[in-house]
Amino acid sequence: MFIIILMAVKVSYLQPSVCQWTAEPLEYHRSFLRENCRPDGRELSEFRTTTLNIGSISTADGSALVKVGNTTVICGIKAELTNPTVEAPGKGYIVPNVDLPPLCSSRFRPGPPGEQAQAASQFIADVIESSEVIQTEDLCIDRGKLCWVLYCDLMCLDYDGNVLDACMIALLAALKNTQLPEVTISTETSTPVVNLEKRHELHIHKHPVGASFCVFDDSILIVDPTAEEESLSTAELTVVTDEKDRLCAVHKPGGTSLSGEKLQECISRATARQREIQKLINKVIHSVKTAQ
Amino acid sequence: MPTDTKRVRGPEVSQSPSLFSDKPADVVPSRGPRADGRQREQVDVRPVFVRCGPVSQAKGSAYIEAGDTKVMCCVYGPRETERKDETDMKCGRLTTDMRFAPFSCPERGSWIQGSQEKDLSLMLQESLQSAVCLHKYPRSQIEVNVMVLENSGSVLAHAVTCASLALADAGIEMYDLVLGCSIRQDGASYVVDPSYAEENSRSSGGGGNQGGLTVAFLPSLNQISGLQSDGEMTQETLTAGVRTCIEGCYKLYPVIQQALTKAVRKAAPPPSES
Amino acid sequence: MEACGSSSVSLREFGCEQSLLSRPDGSASFTQGDTSVLAAVYGPAEVKVSKEIYDRATLEVLIQPKVGLPGVRERSQEQCVRETCEASLLLTLHPRSSLTLILQVIHDAGSLLSCCLNAACMALMDAGLPMSCLFCGVTCAIDTDGQIITDPTAAQEKESRALMTFAVDSKDRKVLMSLTKGSFSVHELQQCIAVSQKASEKIFQFYRDSVRRRYSKTL
Repeated sequence: MFIIILMAVKVSYLQPSVCQWTAEPLEYHRSFLRENCRPDGRELSEFRTTTLNIGSISTADGSALVKVGNTTVICGIKAELTNPTVEAPGKGYIVPNVDLPPLCSSRFRPGPPGEQAQAASQFIADVIESSEVIQTEDLCIDRGKLCWVLYCDLMCLDYDGNVLDACMIALLAALKNTQLPEVTISTETSTPVVNLEKRHELHIHKHPVGASFCVFDDSILIVDPTAEEESLSTAELTVVTDEKDRLCAVHKPGGTSLSGEKLQECISRATARQREIQKLINKVIHSVKTAQ
Repeated sequence: MPTDTKRVRGPEVSQSPSLFSDKPADVVPSRGPRADGRQREQVDVRPVFVRCGPVSQAKGSAYIEAGDTKVMCCVYGPRETERKDETDMKCGRLTTDMRFAPFSCPERGSWIQGSQEKDLSLMLQESLQSAVCLHKYPRSQIEVNVMVLENSGSVLAHAVTCASLALADAGIEMYDLVLGCSIRQDGASYVVDPSYAEENSRSSGGGGNQGGLTVAFLPSLNQISGLQSDGEMTQETLTAGVRTCIEGCYKLYPVIQQALTKAVRKAAPPPSES
Repeated sequence: MEACGSSSVSLREFGCEQSLLSRPDGSASFTQGDTSVLAAVYGPAEVKVSKEIYDRATLEVLIQPKVGLPGVRERSQEQCVRETCEASLLLTLHPRSSLTLILQVIHDAGSLLSCCLNAACMALMDAGLPMSCLFCGVTCAIDTDGQIITDPTAAQEKESRALMTFAVDSKDRKVLMSLTKGSFSVHELQQCIAVSQKASEKIFQFYRDSVRRRYSKTL
């Protein structure tokens, strides 16, 4: 009897934090944040390991798979031919869509995309437009008659927080991987003729990269939150910068307020992150090219 | 046509550039070696890469890659059923959802689940159901989500294998693993584990004996849990086809077993000798 | 921070009417120039079991465009408005109940999201829901010359190089929400925040005046 009690005491003494994690997750996280670290061993301003795989889907015109820690996002780009609108005869289309299928986490239900997925789609669409990562004029083939539409389909395969950053990286890498076939307009029939063998790369004007932050207890700022940190935080913020240090988006969908100094801190972290990711993308693309 | 208001909208219509290609599409030869160098009329399955547990959020997950076909599966549950009105509460429910990523096929697919995906989901469910000990999970449901990342043929067969592996990874009690294998009958000859082009080709003067066959097989019980066939085949061809599929499943079996033992070892390393 | 040209912030003419609808628990219409939004609040009421949160109220925001069905853009705006309201409302006082905020766009002539935020705040006030602070929305546009225009019209929005919408709280004048379009420098962002904080003073003064006018009539 005595031994059993002793053992029970020992077990509860050894694992107070695990018990607390299930019972009081917020208090558990706070106890780590007080020591300036996080439950997964990271510092407050440390991103998770980011890995990138380019061109893995052969049925897509461009594809990339990004892993930020556990979070996995795959982006496949399919190019199709269509007619430009009357209002913008010299422009093509870019149609980004983010999907959070029930596969990636138990929090998502099957069916049409929920609010989070729709807001993410709109965010990605806004960033593409604001940053001019691709100029839609480049997608025009024959003014007023024919242009490309790039369907950029982003799919989360593993949801562990910070999908927006992962989506941005996946989109950028996939766009850099995209090869469009050559199209000529036949003079006799005035129909397009596609040469699938001869392909050329897209012209990427800017390299926007995002960095996401979470605010804990209205004051503590952490980067690259996991799913659990996201759900416990009081506010989220995503800053997107390009290589010229211009801001393409400062997206804060509400939550508790943030002071100017904290915002400045976020922006400088985001610019550093942009450098890291651009280097990573270039490295991966280079290694893919040399392997061929 | 109802418009999809929950996604960013593109132009009303768009065509795939392959429709305007200046070269006709390659015709799959109906005899001689296959495009990827495999042999006809032999149980020559593509080499597979299998991994357990790639998704951190799921109870169990698996990824399978056979040639260019890439399938991912996650299992969630057992959890409380959503449908409370279900009369039979003695055994659990197995729900399946199989989807193709929009970029998975040569032609871009829609985000909205089509009838083909619904059919495949149902077939997947029927193939798996008999292998899972559902009576051990009363009043609960087990969700199987399959995502096809790239479709290069024999999707259903690989989805079945992947799903059973994910179920095993989730620790759901099962009678046996379920393995899938498919063949394509083309006149007198057949191909095992067909690619996308082989699946969708129609030889011109074949006449009868045209069709596809997918078998879901329980290897240690030596039983068939699912059989799906389309096209027109004689009785002898069909039985021979089933036999070939079973042979194909046995080829797959050691790879799957290995992946599973590896995952189990990783999750619970055997006690060290010291 | 006075680099924005004029020292005073120019806003279009504001208008507000509270409790103009009889069915909802709180309602308000807000106009900024020609932009007009009608807001209605229902609740605290019973919540669906699937949406129930055990320690606070569930807030739902719906934005109805003038024509057609709400799309992805509206959904992202809904998210912004909802999370801003959640930050200022004391939702923990009504656990396991639902609050619904419906915003009907009457006319969009620029600065729509900020008008939605202002209408939402007035409607929540009218419904008498406990809040920790008020909030207001300010839209800033940076035109091609680098001039900052507050509360731009639709034409000004179209010509602008960058467009930012902020929600500012009444307590510390800090930024609750930010939504941006176009690219801009860090300095421009800080200028815009400073300008919106200045503009928020005017808007809060307008809130105060219109509420005072309303109660002076009823009392």
